[in-house]
Amino acid sequence: MAAVASETVNLVINDVEIAVPKGELIVESVKRLGLEIPIFCYHPRMKPVGMCRMCLVEVGFKQPDGSVRKMPKPQAACTLPAQDNMVIFTDTEMVHRDRKGVLEFLLINHPLDCPICDRGGECPLQNNTLFYGPSTSRFIEVKRHAHKAFPLSKYVTLDLERCIQCGRCVRFTEEISGDSELAFRFRGASMQPSTFELRDFTSKFSGNVIEICPVGALTNREYRFRARPWDLETKPSICLECSNGCATWFDYRVNRLVRVNGRTNEAINEEWTCDRGKFGHEHYNADNRLTVPLIRRGDRLEECDWPTAYAAILSAFGVGGDKVAMLAGSSLSNEGAYLLNRLFHRKFGSANVDYRRTAHTLPPDEAAGNAPTAIADLELKPSILVFGNSPADDIPIIFLRIRKAWFKHGARVVVAHHGETEADSFADVVLRYAPGTDADLAKGLVAARANDAAGVAQAAAACGVDESRIREAAALLGENTAIVTTDSLLNSASGADAFRALRQLGGELNRYALGANDQGFADLGLVPGPDGRGTAAILAGCADGSIESLWLAGADPFAFGDRATVEKALEQVGFVVYQGTHKSEAMGFASVVLPMAEPAEGDGTYVNAERRLQELRAVLSPPGEAKAAWRIGAELALRVGMAKPYFGAKDVAAEIFTQVPAFRGVAFGDRLN
Amino acid sequence: MGEYKLLLEHSHDPAYATLAGYQAKGGYAALKKALGMERQAIIDEVKASGLRGRGGAGFPTWIKWNGIPKDKKGKHYLICNADEGEPGTFKDKQLMETTPFLLIEGMTIAGFATQGDAGYIYIRGEFVDAAKALRKAIDEAYAAGLLGKNILGSGYDFDLYIHLGAGSYECGEESALMSSLMGERGMPRLKFPHVPLPTISGVWDRPTVINNVETYTCAPFIINNGGNWYASLGASTKNSRGTKIFSVSGHVNKPGNYEIEFGTSLMDLLEMAGGMKGGALKACVPGGSSVPIMNAQQCDGAIIGYEEMAEAGSMVGSGGCMFLNEHTCIVTFIWRTAQFYANESCGKCTPCREGTKWLLQIMERIRSGGGRSGDIELLQEVCSQIDGRSFCGLGDAAAWPVAGAIKVFRDEFEYFIEHGRSIVQSAESARMLPESPVVAVS
Ligand SMILES: Cc1cc2nc3c(=O)[nH]c(=O)nc-3n(C[C@H](O)[C@H](O)[C@H](O)COP(=O)(O)O)c2cc1C
Ligand code: SF4
Ligand code: SF4
Ligand code: FES
Repeated sequence: MAAVASETVNLVINDVEIAVPKGELIVESVKRLGLEIPIFCYHPRMKPVGMCRMCLVEVGFKQPDGSVRKMPKPQAACTLPAQDNMVIFTDTEMVHRDRKGVLEFLLINHPLDCPICDRGGECPLQNNTLFYGPSTSRFIEVKRHAHKAFPLSKYVTLDLERCIQCGRCVRFTEEISGDSELAFRFRGASMQPSTFELRDFTSKFSGNVIEICPVGALTNREYRFRARPWDLETKPSICLECSNGCATWFDYRVNRLVRVNGRTNEAINEEWTCDRGKFGHEHYNADNRLTVPLIRRGDRLEECDWPTAYAAILSAFGVGGDKVAMLAGSSLSNEGAYLLNRLFHRKFGSANVDYRRTAHTLPPDEAAGNAPTAIADLELKPSILVFGNSPADDIPIIFLRIRKAWFKHGARVVVAHHGETEADSFADVVLRYAPGTDADLAKGLVAARANDAAGVAQAAAACGVDESRIREAAALLGENTAIVTTDSLLNSASGADAFRALRQLGGELNRYALGANDQGFADLGLVPGPDGRGTAAILAGCADGSIESLWLAGADPFAFGDRATVEKALEQVGFVVYQGTHKSEAMGFASVVLPMAEPAEGDGTYVNAERRLQELRAVLSPPGEAKAAWRIGAELALRVGMAKPYFGAKDVAAEIFTQVPAFRGVAFGDRLN
Repeated sequence: MGEYKLLLEHSHDPAYATLAGYQAKGGYAALKKALGMERQAIIDEVKASGLRGRGGAGFPTWIKWNGIPKDKKGKHYLICNADEGEPGTFKDKQLMETTPFLLIEGMTIAGFATQGDAGYIYIRGEFVDAAKALRKAIDEAYAAGLLGKNILGSGYDFDLYIHLGAGSYECGEESALMSSLMGERGMPRLKFPHVPLPTISGVWDRPTVINNVETYTCAPFIINNGGNWYASLGASTKNSRGTKIFSVSGHVNKPGNYEIEFGTSLMDLLEMAGGMKGGALKACVPGGSSVPIMNAQQCDGAIIGYEEMAEAGSMVGSGGCMFLNEHTCIVTFIWRTAQFYANESCGKCTPCREGTKWLLQIMERIRSGGGRSGDIELLQEVCSQIDGRSFCGLGDAAAWPVAGAIKVFRDEFEYFIEHGRSIVQSAESARMLPESPVVAVS
């Protein structure tokens, strides 16, 4: 979409003259006049194929004498590039007849089970039939019968009777996700989309095909038959299952989340979601949600009211200073994190706060400015170095951009990782190094760029990658390279060294955060000050008794820490606040439990991996007495007399915008300073 | 007029399929001559010859050759379409089996004229004998320095490869052939004006010439004798020059390939094939199963030429000429044709995928006695919804025979629908009926 056309051509569309960029597809050009051409197979983000023939228009060319010579056959508007003197007719008898013809054809073998179809009500086939189709069918033969509910994967069901063979799903896996897991098999009227040898459709982006299927052939196994579109209310949301922060729609019914769909945000996810984002929201409706505050009485956690819980907490944390600590979980909003951080620093006088879950950390000065490349800008980079991570797993939407940079714009890609990654399939060079030798390889790349043969040889010997490979890779890198690493690099002992070496390579060095709002925490300064303790030291402090009270703010140390260490820490520490959304193992150690809302159950702002600030307005209300993180922070602040009351998350946000430099003057949707 | 054997002159002689035998009959003189000519001069000879593509569409060959960029920026490819899938056509098979060097020499000349780097002969998968004959001939040509590097010391390099298809009629369609050649599913690709012409961006996105076997095979004769000489053949027709091989089949006494000069009458062709067998002439499908059927009156006086056959109500097509005698039930014949196209539709586009099957279902119902009034109009409507609307020519090719037969033999359809049985009730006719559907309707 980014290309700016330099040249324009003059078209006539239904008697109206219009200049459009040369080569623009006619199906797009007509939109400039507010016209629409019905489509099925065409999808603006994929190469046009002209399969369904729904978009046929009449085309002519202006002759020197002013007359118009029509082409003998109607043409597919979705594949036809605009040329000078082209004359397009979208409203002739022939066009209307052809549309009826194609729709009649599509419907003869379609089951027309709209009354029980998930897609009914939001179905392009229904809509086009209503507007352009024949009112009756002349078909009296036997319809095609095929699988009605073929389980393509654990998420996606295929109804082969409903499929109109538009190829969108197949092309998605070829062009966008790149796993090519779907293909057509058989031919003619028996042609059907399928996985190879009917194996599981294991794409990490499989959910998207449900949304781009123009009929109800591909359905969501979790949503299937659970609701009809008109039963649902929908609100914009953002996905906080990872740091990419994709735009989504949350569809809900009587305050229950029913399904998640992709929402367009050109800066981040275009319109895609990963499967974690589309199918990973079941936790909203889980049975083990926390709904009331609990307080420990002997070996039982008993229900209590919020004031009782707050009072117990404030008295336990009153000791303050180095004796108290907080670990923050990655989906806290900026507002929730900001207020708790302030409570610790200002009221408890403690700098023992952290959100980082990696085994190692970078010193603060080196950690700063860690995401110079915006996600959308990755697409136009001439070369990309993926270093020390598997982007399809860690940062799925960023993976799609990297792949698009290669697929659409021919970027050269180097992938350096100790294991196999999806990105290997399109990489120019794959550097598979021995685990733990990240720094050696990074130094080798630097040496190769400096033509330091000895350095390359030394690195090659250390990391087990051929010298020639290292040179080949280095030759593709330069000042315009985007280097993509993630926080996972810091799980390797030599990760920090690798990071330092990569800095010498030139180009834009990114260390994308992994947790939903980790980047926000970094920019809010939710890290131990010079005299504070980091995650590992906090856990150690709990274990050795030097920390008496621990606050788990949405954090579950069992999810990232070494089990024995965590168990010991939680057993030894005197007082644990468990502020969370769900019951969990860590909750068993709690002295006080604060039920917290899920992100979309409250207002809040979040910062994604590329440091883009996004606002999420409550879609649902929290269960029972659960509260949004900002509200917990605000109520505590009021109790300790720290602030004038906040009447909403936006009051807290306003304070962040004035108090935290990185946020100053930043509008929603923009990247932080 | 009788046979005019140009391409087929030596096809009875097994030695002609060997390099020595071929050269003994003057083979490779044309390539030698061509290598000494300006490239453009070769194309100009082909232009003067008036040669039109023999694969079915009759497109002027020189325009394709001339469309290849003169200023070469990368590889140029040539493809020989030897898929020969059109029912009734079997001329390319004989050419490849008996005159493989004519094809190789022709492609090398075309390659030289268009600065081609490599040629691919895409052979119908069932044509194992043809592939074997070509394999032997290509090996011999390589050994003799007639293919490969520095051909005949001219400095021109040209490689020739054979590729066997996997059994799909659609892979004879030129863009689907290219998909198949590149290892993709045999589905057609976008065409001009939606994308550049294959001469600019064809197989592997490089400039590509694609011609039929018979088309390439004409090249050595044009170079040897000059374009003007070639154009003197068929001069009596409007715009058809040279000779054309017709694969004559059906109810004739001597089915086989007959080469004629354009301008010969259709009845002369029937004569060459030994005349009708088992009954009087009822109908003819002159150019492969996709062209409209003609009745006896239309055949009478029809002259073979691209424009002339169109005037007579049909087409030269690929030259698969089927003569049908009076015992043939046209409804059954068209039903069988519809089966073929429904089975061969690749499935890419809606009109062909759905329409060919629907046509077959209606034909099936009529043939089994369930015809209803309105069926004829329905068949015509369905045909018109396919014709010109499909992605590639297969859809058109499926619609024409049905629409054409209704036009000429409407009474037979009406009778079948009204009475639930064929108008043709002879014993001979009963013997002709297939016992069960050859291809099941699924
Ligand atoms: C469905 C379909 C099948 C075709 N099959 C063949 C074929 O088997 N052999 C062939 O030479 N041309 C075939 N053609 C024509 C080719 O697309 C193309 O026009 C031809 O190869 C060009 O060569 P020519 O110019 O030498 O005729 C077919 C076309 C269609 C639409
Ligand atoms: S399943 Fe849906 S997207 Fe895939 S080919 Fe069929 S109709 Fe198109
Ligand atoms: S007309 Fe359509 S379905 Fe038929 S063969 Fe061509 S592309 Fe395939
Ligand atoms: S939308 Fe143009 S052919 Fe399908």
